[in-house]
Amino acid sequence: MIVPDVVSPVVVALYTPAIIVGIIAGLIGLLGIAVEKNDLQILILTDLVGISMMIFVCAVGTDLAESLVLPGLVVELAEILAISEVLMSREIRRNGKEVALIPLPMHMDMEILDTSPVVIAILLIAVGAFESGFTGGAVAGGGILFYVLSRTMRGVPSGMWEGIAGASGISWCLWLAGFMVFFVFPQYWLLALFLAAFGVFIKVAFKAGLIGVIGREEFKKE
Amino acid sequence: MLEVYIWFYAGCALVILGCIGTVIGPGVKDPIVRTLNTEVPAVGMSMILLTYNDTIALLTYIAATVLITMVLLRAVVRLEEMGAEL
Repeated sequence: MIVPDVVSPVVVALYTPAIIVGIIAGLIGLLGIAVEKNDLQILILTDLVGISMMIFVCAVGTDLAESLVLPGLVVELAEILAISEVLMSREIRRNGKEVALIPLPMHMDMEILDTSPVVIAILLIAVGAFESGFTGGAVAGGGILFYVLSRTMRGVPSGMWEGIAGASGISWCLWLAGFMVFFVFPQYWLLALFLAAFGVFIKVAFKAGLIGVIGREEFKKE
Repeated sequence: MLEVYIWFYAGCALVILGCIGTVIGPGVKDPIVRTLNTEVPAVGMSMILLTYNDTIALLTYIAATVLITMVLLRAVVRLEEMGAEL
């Protein structure tokens, strides 16, 4: 048998139905993409193909699925983010109309955005640093994004985005180095674990930089 | 055993019905309706993840789904304000 004994029989029994459901969902999504003409609608339908991909990953079960979910989701998120930015900047080019970076139904120039962001951001980053890994990165990234967006109302220093993007790249290298250490020097696994965990933590936290670098031209310069 | 299979097949049904609803459901010409429809297969997907007992994966998935929905809604609203044909 190819399947090792550690995989529970329930997971093995559910493998075929899960793959079939994934194929059906993917086919429906791809048919929708093939029929649809509008770019924005196609972008929304891409989400369905992402879900079918996730079902394939799930069908593996065990810890392997838990670790494979992360890159799949990050790639899907980055792809949707990038394509939506391309669509929007193309539309700006085409009819030259200025629209707010983040359209909100209310006026965001509130007193609380001056006083609270620092505290909330520090709290979120501290919690995220304690958790480390992807989840902690997401929490800390939420903190950074909240801080930056509340500053946006008054203008963000444009040099800050370059710094965030640079730190993000360096932490990605840390993550890679951690994985290299896992394979080359397995006896230093604790060091490798921490390199990988905190590399991914900083990387995910600074995903905000991705939004920032794309939207750099549109922010108010200080 | 029965419970596990019930959750799994409920998730599968939600994923397939949600996909059909997103592609040819009523009112999907409106991109906001279509974006909200993608939440149905997302819930089905969460049920499948629950069946496999992947807690961390479920947390990651919920966070990513929220972000994806926010990005899509932002794109829809901005494009609509620019007066693009949707």
